[in-house]
Amino acid sequence: MKPLLLPNRLKNIGWILLLPSFVAGLIFIVFEYKLPMDPKINVFGFFGDAILSSKLEQQFRVSSVDLIPNLIGICFLVGGILVMFSKEKKEDEFINQLRLNALQWSIFINYSLLLFCFLLVHGLAFLNVMVYNMFTIIVIYILRFQYLFYNHSIVKNEQ
Amino acid sequence: MNNKIKVERAIHNLTQEQLADLVSVTRQTINAIELKKFVPSTVLALKICRVFNKSVDEVFSLESNE
Repeated sequence: MKPLLLPNRLKNIGWILLLPSFVAGLIFIVFEYKLPMDPKINVFGFFGDAILSSKLEQQFRVSSVDLIPNLIGICFLVGGILVMFSKEKKEDEFINQLRLNALQWSIFINYSLLLFCFLLVHGLAFLNVMVYNMFTIIVIYILRFQYLFYNHSIVKNEQ
Repeated sequence: MNNKIKVERAIHNLTQEQLADLVSVTRQTINAIELKKFVPSTVLALKICRVFNKSVDEVFSLESNE
């Protein structure tokens, strides 16, 4: 069964999108940076602010959203997906095994952290946990895979 | 799983890189198999044995606890 992977050339595009958006996201979330101006954009969405409302007119409508945080989130996710799912220059079954290992690690650590936060973080602060949790699988997967990949690349020349 | 890839490579005077190219994998894969960190698929095992002109059980063997 062949793994579902994208062409290798998309990996560099992924890094170009991922790294700046990761840094920008950290600045926005961790340091709570506020832009001097807060550009808004009108976009179509399934749900607006009134997600808990049963009124139909507040769903499936054009609404005004913050441009920069949404752009950072979109770039991070697109970049992350491209980095995660692009082939290496030479792809084989061993690399595939490293992918599986990294995926297992990321899911396990992600849900362990979430469980930990469920027990210890309460109230509105849990919203922050949910924001971080949107990105942890991607971050842990990439860190683990890169570690395994380069660890096995630097092998002694046993020839 | 034990294997005699390193011995067979020496007999056939092949480097890890050359063997990797012959069976279309990376050198890291051959290295990981030799170090018993990775068990190859049946297809890859057969390809490696074809290069050495040996049967699978001449190159690969089960460990006592397997």
